[in-house]
Amino acid sequence: MGRGLFKQKNGLYAVDVTAACGVMTPAQLTGLARAAVDNNAFRIKLTTRQTVVVLLPEGNVSALEEALEPLELQVSPFGNVVRPVKACAGNSSLCPRSLGDALDLGVEIQARYLGRETPKDFKIAVAGCPRGCTDPYCADFGVIAAGNDRFRIAIGGMGGSNCPRHGEIIAENVPRDKVFTVLEHVLERFEVLAEPREKLGRAVERLGLTPFLPPAGLLSAEKAVLAADDEFVQFLQN
Amino acid sequence: MTSIRSAGEVDLAALDRPLAKLCLNCDLRDTPDCREAACLAGFARKVLKFAISKGILDIPGAAGLIPGHDFKPYYPEMIAAGLAETCRQCRECRDNHSPDCVISLVRHSLENMILTENIDYPGSVFAYLAAVKERNPDLAASLAKQLRSGQNSA
Ligand code: SF4
Ligand code: SF4
Repeated sequence: MGRGLFKQKNGLYAVDVTAACGVMTPAQLTGLARAAVDNNAFRIKLTTRQTVVVLLPEGNVSALEEALEPLELQVSPFGNVVRPVKACAGNSSLCPRSLGDALDLGVEIQARYLGRETPKDFKIAVAGCPRGCTDPYCADFGVIAAGNDRFRIAIGGMGGSNCPRHGEIIAENVPRDKVFTVLEHVLERFEVLAEPREKLGRAVERLGLTPFLPPAGLLSAEKAVLAADDEFVQFLQN
Repeated sequence: MTSIRSAGEVDLAALDRPLAKLCLNCDLRDTPDCREAACLAGFARKVLKFAISKGILDIPGAAGLIPGHDFKPYYPEMIAAGLAETCRQCRECRDNHSPDCVISLVRHSLENMILTENIDYPGSVFAYLAAVKERNPDLAASLAKQLRSGQNSA
């Protein structure tokens, strides 16, 4: 597994630091800032994957890395692995538009899958509503909340490419726990079916969507939960 | 300075004002027959109350709960005032319009008071006004007047 350490044109090193889908406590942020100052960091840059790049001299890289662990931060895995997960601010306490707990789901997906080896880099994006602030259709695996414990899943998106493509929907109304089952299934199929260094989207173009679809039995026990928000239903009756 | 968009930008209390007027003019007001879950105005007000208390702008699945059998007569100019406010508050999300958006829920409830069929909201106020005009020119004229006046006069 590669690691997010990159030599820059100016000789400095870029260290890509991952938090929980870009969420840091003030203590983590000040701790990171302190470590950056202590290690002669030149600049800090926010990335499109909700990670933070610290630019610093090569001789300071390992000291910065050592400072990350106690802060519960880590150097991002890089290369052909599951990359840091992008998740929006959709959950029960943040974005008022959210239809489901996207942030919490994204954090858990990242905790379970970050760094897992894949035929080609594997990007995951989770959004709390169809507005899709994290571009879920541009990710290899996109999850979009559709209501209480209901998620839509799209696969094969590729935003950063000469030939970009949008992900295709493979499952609707998937309950939270089954999102993991579908992800596991897609990763397994990807590992088996993809050519070396082939993006999931290209494998889907070559083989069609069918080999990647969750088998009927995987989701069939789940009736689509189309009921309205329980709390609102109760509030309405009172 | 750029302002950061927040829930506060959508004024849910302003949406409630024309609905409150509809309630005030209702014969069932303060009677045992006043049931909000079965009343279009009552439902819309409940939606707003819930959204305000929770700080949310979408209520998953709520579009499916809009009362379908409220045949009480409502004053068209009051409905137009309510619809005008939905136009003012709508963020015009276009492709991303959500039927469970609280503004959409209020709009839909108001439409049900007067139109025989709902308008599939196009996510833009301009296109919506054209759709209202097609179905009910009088309502469209009243709505346009309300929008021009810039306030709820009903
Ligand atoms: S995708 Fe939806 S829930 Fe998530 S931040 Fe954007 S508007 Fe909010
Ligand atoms: S376009 Fe639809 S979702 Fe957006 S604010 Fe207007 S009614 Fe709500």
